[in-house]
Amino acid sequence: MNAKKMTLFILLALSVLTLSACSGQPLANNWPGLAADTEHAYLSAGSFIYAVDLDSGKEVWRYPEKADKRLFYANPVLTADGQLLIGSTGTEHPFISLDPVTGKEKWTENFTGSKGGWVAPPLVLNDTIYAPNADGFLYVIDMNGKEAADPIKLGGALWSAPSTDGSLLYVTSLDHHFHVINPSEGVSNAPIDLGGAAPSSPVVGSDGVYVGSFASTVESVKSNGAHEVIAKTESWIWGSPILDGETLYYADLDGKIYSLDLASRRQNWDTVQPDGPVVANLLLAGDQIYVATEAGTLVALDRDGNTNWEKTVGGKIYTTPVLSGDLILVAPYQAEFVLAAYDADGKQAWTFVPEKK
Amino acid sequence: MWNTIIIEPMTNLLLWIYDVLGHGPHMFGLAIILFTVLIKVITWPLNASQVKGAQAMQELQNDKEWQDIQKKYAKDKEKIAQEQMRIYKERGINPFASCLPTLVQFPIIIGLYQSITHALSATPFDMLKLARAIYPFQNMEGIIPLNSTFLWMDLGRPESIQLLGFGLPTLAIIVALTTYVQSKLTMPTSSNPNDQSAQMTKMMSIYMPLMLGWFALNFASGIAVYFITSNLLGIVQYAATGRANWRNLLPGGDKTNKQQQISKKK
Repeated sequence: MNAKKMTLFILLALSVLTLSACSGQPLANNWPGLAADTEHAYLSAGSFIYAVDLDSGKEVWRYPEKADKRLFYANPVLTADGQLLIGSTGTEHPFISLDPVTGKEKWTENFTGSKGGWVAPPLVLNDTIYAPNADGFLYVIDMNGKEAADPIKLGGALWSAPSTDGSLLYVTSLDHHFHVINPSEGVSNAPIDLGGAAPSSPVVGSDGVYVGSFASTVESVKSNGAHEVIAKTESWIWGSPILDGETLYYADLDGKIYSLDLASRRQNWDTVQPDGPVVANLLLAGDQIYVATEAGTLVALDRDGNTNWEKTVGGKIYTTPVLSGDLILVAPYQAEFVLAAYDADGKQAWTFVPEKK
Repeated sequence: MWNTIIIEPMTNLLLWIYDVLGHGPHMFGLAIILFTVLIKVITWPLNASQVKGAQAMQELQNDKEWQDIQKKYAKDKEKIAQEQMRIYKERGINPFASCLPTLVQFPIIIGLYQSITHALSATPFDMLKLARAIYPFQNMEGIIPLNSTFLWMDLGRPESIQLLGFGLPTLAIIVALTTYVQSKLTMPTSSNPNDQSAQMTKMMSIYMPLMLGWFALNFASGIAVYFITSNLLGIVQYAATGRANWRNLLPGGDKTNKQQQISKKK
């Protein structure tokens, strides 16, 4: 075999390896998910769910004991009856219920009726779980993990939790549509075209529902279905807006933070732009608006858009920060730790690194 | 750098073609096919030089002067190399002419695979990558996410057709077959029984179909659509040159060819 052909053969083999490496990446298809009660933080990171003590930052339990690479857990949700609901967005996609105290499975059988993965957390309303799936169906499950009604076909991948005003469900889809669903009838009204994919949950106000999308707009939707664009952004909107009285806060993938006065439809400030794109939802706690950027920074703004403080957390932050008591919990991706807690002044209380077992 | 030079232009081109086609069902598959045609047109001169280079190299293997040199300096590899270089120079043969086009294919294949994955954005991370890859002047928010349906396939997933309870990977089989046909057609024959490069080519004609078939089996079916289109175009291109070795497709066809060459020499 001459040298030239040998070189060619080696290059070919290397290319095969390169291509294999592309697909062989683990199921890192979603970022960490986070929920908390008064005692524990519940973090989904890859194939594990961790319960972390809020006082000490130590692990209380993890689920499962050994990693299963087919599973990649999405954002968990705590229910009023003491369940931790969570679905997998891996190649296997069970929807499970854990006991938040012990980390043990609560249902005798996991719900496995979906065709796609669970990217978004579910919503619990009137003892019924409404779980949006990437297969375009909203699954209706009882609190024991059994199908309570036929799944509602919405179309497009559903990547965000439904919102509710207590009676109606509001669901966004990547197929650009916004759905209003009456759970008692189990059917959807005519969907509203947002002009772009909507990967985040709508926020419900007293005078309507507000939703951002990849059309770089924020739309207001009334309960009668009337809708209008109330604001435009410079880039796609990924995270959900937050509502504070008559002010709507939201961010775009350019990293710009907006504050819209709903009465006048005017922006309250000109330019507030921390150090990177904002994918996570903003968090309003106390007098501060917390912004987590992809650059790995946690920023605390006042209501006028002034920076009270900013902290370099590390890694990239896509997960919405969560408030528990006095602590702001942040789950960075690809950082030295998987969870960190800060107080309202930006002082780090602890970080959590899972022990290797 | 990889993203800037390969992924972003490819992704934007794919999205642009998809948009022009009307961005409905099946259109992304068509976009991949058109994209492949475009790549083939762009790399046509390279492919032509590959064919020419391979042919010239193969003819050398059957050349008497070349074979005499191998025998004469069998124990002096340095001298053989010198003599080979002299012959290359005298006859205007570039020994690397047959390699370059093949090398060019690799980044295209890898780039296409990544572009398809980005474009289909089946996961939040892929969607984020896509958001960054789109050029500012392209208004793509109206067409994202892409419709990944093409014929019976989901282009973002490996393909198979359920048949009697088994998943038959039809695309992987077609990829392997077309790769085999293409390599057989383009495989020159050598009458020299010690011709290592001919043996190597023969090995490649077996390994390549298996390898690409394996890709098609395990990767997004969009990449299989690329392979099939590329192979078919390659076959057409080679046939158009009039050099396609159709006998190689028949069992024992290469032996017949060799015998014919030996008879011609005599």
